[in-house]
Amino acid sequence: MASLSSSAAAARATFMPSSCQSRPAGGGRMARLVTRAAASSPKLPSGRRLRVAVVGGGPAGGAAAEALAKGGVETVLIERKLDNCKPCGGAIPLCMVSEFDLPLDLIDRKVRKMKMISPSNVAVDIGGTLAPHEYIGMIRREVLDAYLRSRAEGAGAEVVNGLFLRYEAPKEPNGSYLVHYNHYDSSSGKAGGEKRTFEVDAIVGADGANSRVAKEMGAGDYEYAIAFQERVKIPDDKMKYYEERAEMYVGDDVSPDFYGWVFPKCDHVAVGTGTVTHKPDIKKFQAATRLRAKDRIEGGKIIRVEAHPIPEHPRPKRVAGRVTLVGDAAGYVTKCSGEGIYFAAKSGLMCAEAIVAGSANGTRMVEESDLRKYLAEFDRLYWPTYKVLDVLQKVFYRSNAAREAFVEMCADDYVQKMTFDSYLYKRVVPGNPLDDIKLAVNTIGSLVRATALRREMEKVSL
Amino acid sequence: MAMATSTFSPPASQLALRRQPGAAVRYHLLSFPRLRAGLRLARAAAGEAPVEAVVDQPLPSPAASNGAVVKAKEPAPAPLPRFRDSRWVNGTWDLKQFQKGGAIDWDAVIDAEARRRKWLEDCPEATSPDEAVVFDTSIVPWWAWMKRFHLPEAEKLNGRAAMLGFFMAYFVDSLTGVGLVDQMGNFFCKTLLFVAVAGVLLVRKNEDIETVKRLIDETTFYDKQWQATWQDESPPE
Repeated sequence: MASLSSSAAAARATFMPSSCQSRPAGGGRMARLVTRAAASSPKLPSGRRLRVAVVGGGPAGGAAAEALAKGGVETVLIERKLDNCKPCGGAIPLCMVSEFDLPLDLIDRKVRKMKMISPSNVAVDIGGTLAPHEYIGMIRREVLDAYLRSRAEGAGAEVVNGLFLRYEAPKEPNGSYLVHYNHYDSSSGKAGGEKRTFEVDAIVGADGANSRVAKEMGAGDYEYAIAFQERVKIPDDKMKYYEERAEMYVGDDVSPDFYGWVFPKCDHVAVGTGTVTHKPDIKKFQAATRLRAKDRIEGGKIIRVEAHPIPEHPRPKRVAGRVTLVGDAAGYVTKCSGEGIYFAAKSGLMCAEAIVAGSANGTRMVEESDLRKYLAEFDRLYWPTYKVLDVLQKVFYRSNAAREAFVEMCADDYVQKMTFDSYLYKRVVPGNPLDDIKLAVNTIGSLVRATALRREMEKVSL
Repeated sequence: MAMATSTFSPPASQLALRRQPGAAVRYHLLSFPRLRAGLRLARAAAGEAPVEAVVDQPLPSPAASNGAVVKAKEPAPAPLPRFRDSRWVNGTWDLKQFQKGGAIDWDAVIDAEARRRKWLEDCPEATSPDEAVVFDTSIVPWWAWMKRFHLPEAEKLNGRAAMLGFFMAYFVDSLTGVGLVDQMGNFFCKTLLFVAVAGVLLVRKNEDIETVKRLIDETTFYDKQWQATWQDESPPE
């Protein structure tokens, strides 16, 4: 008994040594929860292992299932479409490749140059400050998701092809959740799948922006953007331009609150745009994006049209009982860039680690407080990143004038270095304070000039 | 090719979006770019920056077609003219062409850039690597911006402050007998002065009060969304 509780304490210490002393963004209230001991949660009856259902087999679900299985928890991963080609920009930062040990052949393309194009077509190339080993990896979601799921299976998780329907909360405090799902099995001959149930102790909702788990647990809604994308196969000579280059278009014509993009994929490009506030006009924005990139994608054939919602902020409730959300289901997409893959996988991993630690490697029952520890840690680690990107979006995506200033700022080497550092490694390294002051002055200067020009523009009548 | 025609979705729809979202006016507005385009072509051919307002002739009113709003069936539209200006060379303004009496006329540069941005906002263009735009507004020196934008505003505000200050000083003197020099020495008066200056700088119009309140809300909104999950945490058993 003594060894179990000490190993539980050790597991706790290795998982979160600093969060016990840290001051999370929410203030002192959170710190109070963190210091509860794991040894007080009851041991599981008849020595069985903890059972967890991971709903959704994307990056969040795959990472969570693998970490859970490795930690000694009995894991079931439910995915409704094993060959799903999720509509996605498909960009992953360098830290994801190293943190998740991704093999380099998953990456279709290494983007080393980005072109930012302002509403008046001022074009700025960024990427000149990247070291030779640094790049933004472009992946196909079907490839990445399948790889992470296979790793989870290899670690001992059971991957089930099925559609999560609903769950029933336990009636006693330490009872089980009853998960209802539609089991798809091509060999059984039933077209719609057969209804099945199974019992678990905890549920991790990793089923994306339209999460059913979130609906079941009453997590609340979030504002979301619609991202619309067309995959275009362009002739080889035009594809050369996009060999290592991605483009980002900003402007009211392309999107009133987001940006339009041309991202290279394995053998074609993805041209798309998104918006939160003007969703019915998405087709117009897409046409405008195609117009801006016209010369470079002319002669291309649209091979696929896809769209998907992207959450703008976390759901009001991310945990209820022993059910929690990770990834897009929780709403972990950054503003300004709309990045979600890394945070989905990382949150899945952190949630799984919290469950493993709280259950002392699957031997004890977990509680809501253990899941809240994952939330506290995630919020503490990544809150600065999210806040900075929110501020950037509020300042630079407001109007065409602000976007012109934004593109002008991107021409600065210091800005490029800071941007790429924070994107590729998810760390905000404080630079030289003198450079920071210069940057602040330049930013204000750009904004003031762009606003002044805007006022002149209003006087001009063409 | 499906893409080639769809890229020419008329910017008029965007004009209609931004300026007048009423459906009834859309038909009327749809007609404008045809005429604007024609006039722009003429001007572009002349290679001149236009200064006169656009004169548009109204097309037959919708009433002619029984009052129903008819969507203009446009034939494949002629490509809208690209932005052309004789002083815009290689993606930037050729400063040598802005010389006025030996020195560069920065006001004209600012005017030209404002016009270019307005043109492109109304008629977004495809970008091309050969004609890449590399103009950076920071080539216009800081004093040109100051002279043109800051100084007139500063003059206006200082004038207002001076008028207000004179009458307030006179008023206080007539009421309390405290002269100007003694007023400046009083702490209460100094505070009032500070509040007045700050107020005039921050709040130029009545709407600015709402703007400041909205800005304060905006800066903390995202934080509140992230804290939401902690609002309902149950106390530890």
